[in-house]
Amino acid sequence: MENNKDILNNTNNNYVIEIEHLQKSFDGRMILKDINLKVKKSENVVILGKSGIGKSVLIKCIVGLIFPDKGSIKVFGKEVTQMNHKELNEMRTRVGFIFQSNALYDSMTVRENLEFPLRRNKIINDKKEIDNLVYEALENVGLTDVIDKMPAELSGGMRKRISLARTLILKPEIILYDEPTTGLDPLTSREISKLINTIQNKYNASSIIITHDLECAKRTSNRILILQDGIFYAKGSFDDLKTNNDPFVKSFFITV
Amino acid sequence: MKKYLNNIFNRKKHKEGKKSTYDFKPSWLQNFLLELGGLSRFTGNFFRELFSYPFEIKEFLKQSYRMGLSTLPLIGITAFIMGLVLTLQSRPVLVDFGAESWLPGMVSVSIVREIGPVITALICAGKIGSGIGAELGSMRVTEQIDAMEVSGTNPIKYLVVTRVLATTFMIPMLIFYSDAISFYGSYVAVNMHGFISPQLFITQAFDPLHYFDIVPATIKTFFFGFAIGIIGCYKGYYSTNGTEGVGRAANSAVVISSLVIFIIDLIAVQLSEIIHIFSI
Repeated sequence: MENNKDILNNTNNNYVIEIEHLQKSFDGRMILKDINLKVKKSENVVILGKSGIGKSVLIKCIVGLIFPDKGSIKVFGKEVTQMNHKELNEMRTRVGFIFQSNALYDSMTVRENLEFPLRRNKIINDKKEIDNLVYEALENVGLTDVIDKMPAELSGGMRKRISLARTLILKPEIILYDEPTTGLDPLTSREISKLINTIQNKYNASSIIITHDLECAKRTSNRILILQDGIFYAKGSFDDLKTNNDPFVKSFFITV
Repeated sequence: MKKYLNNIFNRKKHKEGKKSTYDFKPSWLQNFLLELGGLSRFTGNFFRELFSYPFEIKEFLKQSYRMGLSTLPLIGITAFIMGLVLTLQSRPVLVDFGAESWLPGMVSVSIVREIGPVITALICAGKIGSGIGAELGSMRVTEQIDAMEVSGTNPIKYLVVTRVLATTFMIPMLIFYSDAISFYGSYVAVNMHGFISPQLFITQAFDPLHYFDIVPATIKTFFFGFAIGIIGCYKGYYSTNGTEGVGRAANSAVVISSLVIFIIDLIAVQLSEIIHIFSI
């Protein structure tokens, strides 16, 4: 088994994610035409773009849920498209993924949801240690009192936080957020944005955040990329893009 | 080869810049073949994961318990009625021929060889097959299966292998239970028109049953269970189009597995007849 440190040593220039000339098409329609992206350690990259443009496809390619047609995706310096099943699973334990729909397991309690990745990956077998980690993860998102509730009993914001806690329990080095504030009220959205920043500072994690929420983008981003027609149309900091004269880029920031 | 496939599926790619569509409208035969191919590949994946470590014994037991226990009342009621009605309907004909004493034997052969396994398997296809299709379908559309994969768990192994194994082993047990309850129903029906002791009923019921009645009927129940599990999992696992797709997955799981049960039954009957002829 390749050691985690060995994989990290392969990483060039402190980039944890390196994507080059990525292409992906569905049913003859090319969604991603030429995607190039590098994410540094502990950097938050926000991707903006219209719905159905391929933002979620891009992050699903990073974790190997969707395989690209062409191009290279390196995570921790290792090519995802050439990883075998075991390597893919090892990589996935170091990459967290927050799904748009939260994807909490309906048939399990909050505690079981959080224990699931720990038990499955056999990272820890000691029950006391697992309990401590579950409490720690729930404390991070401020929801220790819902530990024995079912996901259906929780509000949208709570489910999002539990989803974050389930991801954090494995202490990932990269977190991919698929529209983390969609469907939440402004106050909860702000709390989730704060939480994303807290996670970045506390765990030194790198993140790719896909969002339509400009406030979330403003609060969380170190860098913003705008995806349009299968390529990154514009890139820069929030303030750079806000003052950009391009009509398409302007159209994104018109409400702020 | 590519050109050949494109011709088969009538694919027309439009030039980029113009309207980009993908005209893939398979005929019913192509649809059937695609479905068959998909199911075969899925079954291959099931067998590949079945023999690989780690074995999900806890989840398998949980699914077996859930499937078996939840279906017991339904199977019990239908099996009792089945035995009772079959006996009541057959009695007048046998009375006309003065062969009323053959009634328990005739009913037992019908139940053990055919009616018990097929009716119980059809009920299980409706109850268990649709449940699996809907459960995995909703897990698919709410990205729970993707979440499982991302957290380093193989969903085929954790969700599919455990459920298919549970149906393969639980449905034969449910069929034994159903046969026993049907015998009781038959005993009640026989006693509606006179008294017969339980010992005499059992003797008369088991007397005409032979090795070739019980063994093929038992073997085919494992195939029924496997078919219900694999089809339910396949339809649910590849469910698309949101909640509408979940309903469609549950529905087609029942329809296809019911049809497959009859096909398996037909093959089993033919095979057992051939084996019986050669063994004489």
